[in-house]
Amino acid sequence: MRFWRVIEPYIGFLLQGFALTIAACLLAIAGAVLLGALTASMRSSGNGLVRGFANAYGDLFRNVPFLVQLFFFFYGLPELGIYVGAFETGVIAMSIAGGAFVSDVILSGILTVDAGVIDAAKVSGLSRVKIFTRIVLPIAMRVSVRPMGSVLINLVLTSSILSTITVNELTGAAKIVAATTFKPFEVYAVLLVLYASLTTLLSFAISAVHHRLNRFMTEG
Amino acid sequence: MIVAENVEKRFGETLVLKRVNLRVEPGEVVTILGASGSGKSTLIRCINGLETLSGGKITVDGHDVSTKTGLVAARRASATVFQLFNLYPHMTALQNITLAPIEVLKLPKAEAEARARALLDRVGLSAQADAYPQQLSGGQRQRVGICRALAMQPRYLLLDEVTSALDPEMTGDVLRILAALAADGTTMVFVTHEIEFARHISNRIVFLEQGELIVDLPTAQFFAEDGGLAVPRIRQFLSKMKKD
Repeated sequence: MRFWRVIEPYIGFLLQGFALTIAACLLAIAGAVLLGALTASMRSSGNGLVRGFANAYGDLFRNVPFLVQLFFFFYGLPELGIYVGAFETGVIAMSIAGGAFVSDVILSGILTVDAGVIDAAKVSGLSRVKIFTRIVLPIAMRVSVRPMGSVLINLVLTSSILSTITVNELTGAAKIVAATTFKPFEVYAVLLVLYASLTTLLSFAISAVHHRLNRFMTEG
Repeated sequence: MIVAENVEKRFGETLVLKRVNLRVEPGEVVTILGASGSGKSTLIRCINGLETLSGGKITVDGHDVSTKTGLVAARRASATVFQLFNLYPHMTALQNITLAPIEVLKLPKAEAEARARALLDRVGLSAQADAYPQQLSGGQRQRVGICRALAMQPRYLLLDEVTSALDPEMTGDVLRILAALAADGTTMVFVTHEIEFARHISNRIVFLEQGELIVDLPTAQFFAEDGGLAVPRIRQFLSKMKKD
């Protein structure tokens, strides 16, 4: 087993990197979904200023390469006297970039909510905030789960770029191992499997959430 | 009391309500008749503040619906049942009914649920409390819609063509419930095409024609030869509805 002989001494190191990737992804997914929901709510606001601000954020971060955003935060912010660790910077950058895409998906979900349903909520005396949090957003989320899945899987794949700012997540760890062993084929073969299993798991999780949230759609 | 004074509503260039005056006293059942597009539903939507007035004034128990605080109070005093039910699709029948009592009236959850279950029982849907709207028939959905409105204990019930989307059998179920409510003295403003039913339960009938309220008569007089039927447009409308 030539393959295993190459990998075996480094498997612990690679798995540490994998753990870091998982941690960064989970945090960034949470951040992206929260930021995306908030931004989507702002983009559907009646207030033009709020809407404009949220649209500007969405447009900016969807239209700039993630690598550039990451370098901007990692190398640029210290110039402004703001210091955060590489891992934290990575998670924040992923959340911000992911949030821009997630907001698109949730906004399209919001636009599908039946106006009559909102009328019913209005006349019942619910406040605007309650209508949004109890009626509009839950319905929008149900519609948005699947398309959001593709965005989140993309976010997981994007996490490999964090290796460029000294975060030794899975890709970063692999680069080190490949450089040490001069065996890139074996090392990156392991990565193929690990990334594919991570995104496959995420797909399953998204399907499960979709199924759970849309149980009300089953005809009786 | 609901008072509409010289109410005007404009959609773009079109004037859909023209200087409409209407008073509804507590305990009254007032039916609004008129052809499609005559402004009936718009009038209801002006009373509950879903449309803003282009002119005139509407007050509910003295609260001006065009002011922010007035609208809150007016919406607190009234409840609306919609043609297409407009139930919250992601909530069970019970949750549809308890949401506003819990969030707006600040009732404890247990009390709101007890009240909701009693209402569902009254409309024959006790077994469907945990069903989602998708799992209910149209008639059942509308009965949930009525329960949702009644759970707010409104002084005024606004009914916007509540049987138009239902087949005749389901219509009968819903109308029986409304008749019982009317008999209990619930104040209702009732937009409908169910003329015979309106004749049974209404104290007064008003007729809208192209945004103008042309007749406002006690029910018996509305259907009298020398009353409403003396107006050619109404005679024509009623004979046409009977044929359908």
